Amino acid sequence: MLNMRDVSRFGSRLLRGGAMAAVASALAIPSIANAQMPPMPQMPPMPPASAGARAEESVNESTDPKALLERIKLLEQRLADLESSTVLSEPETRVKRVEVWVDPEGGQHDEPVTGAKKVVTYQRERVYRRQTINEKIEEALSGEAEKSVQVGVSAAIATQVAAQTKGAATGNSGHAYALGSADLFFTARVAQNTLFFADVVGLSGPSPDGEIGGLTLLNGFTARLVNQNELNLREAWLRTELFSQKLSLTVGRLDLTNTFDHNAAANDETTQFLSDALVNNPTLGLAVNGTGFAAVYDPKRSLNFKLGMQQSNTDATNLSDSLFSLAEIGYFATPFSLGEGNYRVWYRQANSTGSHRGAFGVSLDQKLAPAITLFARYGSGQAPSTNGNSSFSTGHHFYSGGVQFRNGVVFFPGDAWGVGYAQTGLGTGPRERLTEAYYNFGLTERLKLSFHLTHVLEKQPAAGTVGFLVPGVRLQAAF
Amino acid sequence: MFSVRFVARLVLALCLACAATLLAQDIKITDPTSVVMIVNRDSNDIAFMDIKTHKMIGSVFLGNNVNPHMVMMSPDGRYVVTGGTRANKAFIIDVPTLKLVKTISVDIAPEHLAFSPDSRWYYQGNPQGDSISVIDMASLTKIKTIPGFVEPLNITFSSDGSKAYVGNYGAHWVGVVDVRRHELLKKIQIAPPPGVAKLDPDRYLGEIKGVNIAMPSPDGRYLYAADGDLGVVGVIDSREDKVVKVIRVGPNPWRVYMGHDGKYAITPNNGDETISIIDIRENKVAATLEAGPDMTGVNFAGGKAFVISSTSGFVYVYNMQTLKPAGRIKIGTNIQLETATTDTADQKLYLAESTNHQVVIIDAKTEAIERVGNVGLYPWGTHIMDSKDNYCH
Repeated sequence: MLNMRDVSRFGSRLLRGGAMAAVASALAIPSIANAQMPPMPQMPPMPPASAGARAEESVNESTDPKALLERIKLLEQRLADLESSTVLSEPETRVKRVEVWVDPEGGQHDEPVTGAKKVVTYQRERVYRRQTINEKIEEALSGEAEKSVQVGVSAAIATQVAAQTKGAATGNSGHAYALGSADLFFTARVAQNTLFFADVVGLSGPSPDGEIGGLTLLNGFTARLVNQNELNLREAWLRTELFSQKLSLTVGRLDLTNTFDHNAAANDETTQFLSDALVNNPTLGLAVNGTGFAAVYDPKRSLNFKLGMQQSNTDATNLSDSLFSLAEIGYFATPFSLGEGNYRVWYRQANSTGSHRGAFGVSLDQKLAPAITLFARYGSGQAPSTNGNSSFSTGHHFYSGGVQFRNGVVFFPGDAWGVGYAQTGLGTGPRERLTEAYYNFGLTERLKLSFHLTHVLEKQPAAGTVGFLVPGVRLQAAF
Repeated sequence: MFSVRFVARLVLALCLACAATLLAQDIKITDPTSVVMIVNRDSNDIAFMDIKTHKMIGSVFLGNNVNPHMVMMSPDGRYVVTGGTRANKAFIIDVPTLKLVKTISVDIAPEHLAFSPDSRWYYQGNPQGDSISVIDMASLTKIKTIPGFVEPLNITFSSDGSKAYVGNYGAHWVGVVDVRRHELLKKIQIAPPPGVAKLDPDRYLGEIKGVNIAMPSPDGRYLYAADGDLGVVGVIDSREDKVVKVIRVGPNPWRVYMGHDGKYAITPNNGDETISIIDIRENKVAATLEAGPDMTGVNFAGGKAFVISSTSGFVYVYNMQTLKPAGRIKIGTNIQLETATTDTADQKLYLAESTNHQVVIIDAKTEAIERVGNVGLYPWGTHIMDSKDNYCH
């Protein structure tokens, strides 16, 4: 973000660099024109222009060193003055929204008159303000940027190794995996308080989930994978904000997990936990993105409300048979003089099996101290079976919890680390217990490197329990 | 012995003489605490509004293309001063008569300024000149230019007036000035850049967002200086002039604003559009709350904090008892909000809105707003004598 200060400073540098040399050259002072300028010394008050001109004339032909020094001093002062005043003094023109009164004959009045109707119109306005050239350039550039489509990139590669720790040999121990993901984001302002957003993603490489068939994904990026080495449109939606921007409506192809079941410490596979069970709540049941809408009412107080609907099955031929409906209430609290906490309760229904299958869940994050955040999720209900299709298993029970540390207890200011545990159980018997710890180095604002250690125990009623230790490294760049 | 009648006549005569003198001088302001000053950047004037009636009393034109930046009244209420950024001059206005009494050349692009508590010294910061001009208000002359700063933004005097602290936005230190000699005594580093800074030249070498201001605690014992690049607030012990604690806040904190009750301070973090509320008794962050884009100021009134989000048209409100968000006030659409001051009763805010050339008055209790239009072109800031929220951006 650039503010007026940045703009002004940029101008100062620009002028010091370029304008000084140019002016020096024009004034025929080779030593100044060709050399790097030293810091400007403190100068006495500038004499009046006419006096300066006379002084200049009188020393123009003089070879007296004192007179020459005086002249240099004077020119330096002029240069300093030029530095601060190389500006556009032409009137600044802008367009203003104005309210006027129009009478039945079409006459426009600035003040109310009998029989006149108040209407809104737009009118040019001129002000007289000096602006540096760079301010004008910056204004033009930022104006252009606002009108254009903004592009963002988020790319990550997660390398993992599986080592079996328990159960009958599966043949997967010692296998290595590397899944690369690149998201291209496009955003554009299309109207007042209205935004268009699209996310195109491409993934490549194997993840441990292809071989270690767990109830949840060991690599959260796998959830985005539709086909290897193909670009997929994950999201494309329009969002508008109404009623003093208290109500936002989003319509299009959505990922409703970006709207529902948020969590401050366990919600992002690109910067926090890698395991999907510590990113999303599986009982939410949102396995795929689809067409839908989301409405969020947020008056920026303690309570907020969310409502959403989304196509639940991309193979369905109509929405009537493949619809998720979600509702969530969020509450912001600072209980027991602790830090800020967010508490959310949601309910979901799905109609893809002909009957309505419901689930509910809770997601909370609570700061214990500025550097320590506890998080937890709980979910219960009927959720899609683990093979990714839309048929619902009977009974799905899930809970997770953990802690995240930032600031104070890290190596570098941008670092974070956390430990989490998640347990997922199906009514038919399978159960998964997963533990993950990570440390994320914020190398730069755009580059992060994190180390993960995950241990998972998968219990299958017929096959017994198998365990895997999965260390991993994730490199993530976003710009 | 004088008779009672004689004394009464004498008093009456004196009163009449005083009144005649005042009338002769065209007195416009008799009580300096009764006005709101408005600095109008594009009409190049300082306007004065009556606090009670919200009527404009008058304005003082400074000159063509002066573009004044910040206005302040001397603690004794005698003068109003401002720095003309595009004129490289300081302007001194006589309060009772609203007359421009002196124009003084200073260094490049004067912006923010401060008065010593005894009203004797007017320090004018010159960010592009990397200096501070010292103006003696007894003689109305510039007596010195203090060099050695790096984009000096805001100046705060110690309560006894012996020292002045200068925030350097182009560096990561606070300058301590000996006010008796008007010399830079010491540079206090807020915090060192982190070890990974060398990996991030765009951030650490591209453009410094350093220290905006060293904000004193209500008792004056400590100063709180936020550093934009480092995302921290350094707590300076004014007795030893050294940092005694570094508090990590959100990214790119603009500066520290001090609450009036001595419990909390706030940094608007423009890096992630949050605010950090600092418990100044324990010197730790008590809450980090969602806010808006491009925040330029924080005011405190009626037990609430009002955070100005300049480009969104909203003022975000926070309950300072519960430290929870308390909604936001929509000032307008497609407008630019600047900065605000709070009245001394902590009841009303006077917010400059530059797009429509108006001052928006916000009732802190009811959050109702009243608009006073045509205050001048591009009102950039407001100021009330003795207000606890006099600041600029």
